[in-house]
Amino acid sequence: MLQSIPGRQAACPLLLMLALALGPAAAHARDVDAESGKPGSWSVSGFGTLGLTHASLRQADYTTSVLKKSGAGASHPWSVDVDSRFGAQLDLTLARRWSAVVQVVSEQRLDNTYRPQVEWANIKYQLTPELALRVGRIALPMFLTADYRKVGYAYPWVRPPVEGYGALPISSSDGIDATLHWGIGRVHNVTQAVYGHEDVDVAAPLYAYGRGLAALSNTSAWGDLSVRINMMRAEITTNAGSQLFDALTAFGAPGQALARRYAIDHKEADMLNIGMSYDPGRWFVMAEAGRTRTRSLLGTTHNAYISGGWRWRALTPYATWSRVRAAGSTAENGLPLDGLPPALAAQVAAVNGGLNNLLATATQQTSAAAGVRWDLRTGMALKLQYDRVKPIDGSRGTLINPTPAFRSDRAFHVASVALDFVY
Amino acid sequence: MLQFQPMHLHRHLQRLCAALACGLAIGNAGAAASPVRLPPASDLVVVVSARNPVTALRADQVAAIFLGQAMRFPDGVEAAPLDQRIGSPVRDTFYLRVANKNPALLKAHWSKMVFTGRGQPPGELEDSAAVRRKVAEDPNAIGYIERSALDASVRAVLVVP
Repeated sequence: MLQSIPGRQAACPLLLMLALALGPAAAHARDVDAESGKPGSWSVSGFGTLGLTHASLRQADYTTSVLKKSGAGASHPWSVDVDSRFGAQLDLTLARRWSAVVQVVSEQRLDNTYRPQVEWANIKYQLTPELALRVGRIALPMFLTADYRKVGYAYPWVRPPVEGYGALPISSSDGIDATLHWGIGRVHNVTQAVYGHEDVDVAAPLYAYGRGLAALSNTSAWGDLSVRINMMRAEITTNAGSQLFDALTAFGAPGQALARRYAIDHKEADMLNIGMSYDPGRWFVMAEAGRTRTRSLLGTTHNAYISGGWRWRALTPYATWSRVRAAGSTAENGLPLDGLPPALAAQVAAVNGGLNNLLATATQQTSAAAGVRWDLRTGMALKLQYDRVKPIDGSRGTLINPTPAFRSDRAFHVASVALDFVY
Repeated sequence: MLQFQPMHLHRHLQRLCAALACGLAIGNAGAAASPVRLPPASDLVVVVSARNPVTALRADQVAAIFLGQAMRFPDGVEAAPLDQRIGSPVRDTFYLRVANKNPALLKAHWSKMVFTGRGQPPGELEDSAAVRRKVAEDPNAIGYIERSALDASVRAVLVVP
């Protein structure tokens, strides 16, 4: 898992996207003259990002999600895999009040392919103009921009700040949701409740899933001001790190207690997040703060960012400051070594070291970014961004694939260019 | 809800090719954020059917309907907004004045809505005359037209200076 495969498959994103766009279109070519909104009518839309990222460090990979195989840094000084992705969406009107949507996204995965995945696929029943019920795979309403974070064109940056968004590698859940539009005076609200579960697509024999996933989200728009509050809880399980916990369990009651405390085995996790954006057109400011809490090796983290920019003709220069910190200590004394025979003490020390290594997974990092978005035409934007990133306090931050030479508390630089489009 | 320009396969391909090819050829860079505006003197009016009981709307109420945030007129009647053609000066001026959104920001707004399943943009009609005709016959419809295109078949509920 920690190695990079040289000579990767060259993904041909353009062909892939054409296939995604044409596949459903060809199948429904008879219906092209139907008016949208009538049963049987459909529309296809899509989005994508062509990105190239350079990172100055060589001891780990900088990327956007732990569900990616590699990034810029140790694997390759330059990487197209950090931000590049393509998505296509088919919207179908089934009957009056009934509609269906399928969204497929292709991006680098843990198996180092760009095999498209069904990001979401659901059937919607529009009970009233304000109230919609959906069943199927549904985008998770987390963070200010999480449910459209794969649509680069929709936000000013090359990517949403990784310090907050990296905490949630999943973006959809299988289940049901209800969305209600409601207003009080000049304030327009959208409230969404989601219930479902999520199987994270990691490489076998690893597994990771969330059960009893419940989320509540409310967005209030008042003129140019928008405020969003999200809450989510789930019971999460993964066998990542299970070898270590098996080893701990072999050391009797103290080891079993440590394993119970830190293993991600049916552990309650919750996230709370508040975000705001003020965008009167000529300039904008966005800020978010959140807390992710689990009673496991992932611990509790607090994240926040603030970003602002102004728009001058087709250019939008912007700057962002972002950080994530663990609440409390991420170090663990582990099993006591006192009085152990030297051979056993060495084994126990190794297990303790392994445990602390896992605990360093708790993300602690700050970054400052400056960039510019250039709207080439409606539906297409080119972005340049520079990030100064620093994992802190022994953490490896949001980095993946660390080599033994990796050291925390050293800043590195990231330069990115991205071409975003929607159609 | 109502779309009068059904999406054809070749249009998808055109849009796709345009997005990938023309945009790279940065010939019209700057056009995205600097829309062609109407001359300052030419007002726009927001119109509803003469059969719609609504007599006046504020700019923020109109913006909420056209951005997919409000589904109804203030009196509770369901609202069906109608857009003008993408790239038309009337449309670009309307969204700049009513919602502070240039074409790129409007596209970004609908990208958020469409790709999260929260809504689809209003249907499009060719010009002010087509919008006026459609609004006149549909009590739920709401559109924006040049003031010069206004006649007694529709009711102006907001003047956008």
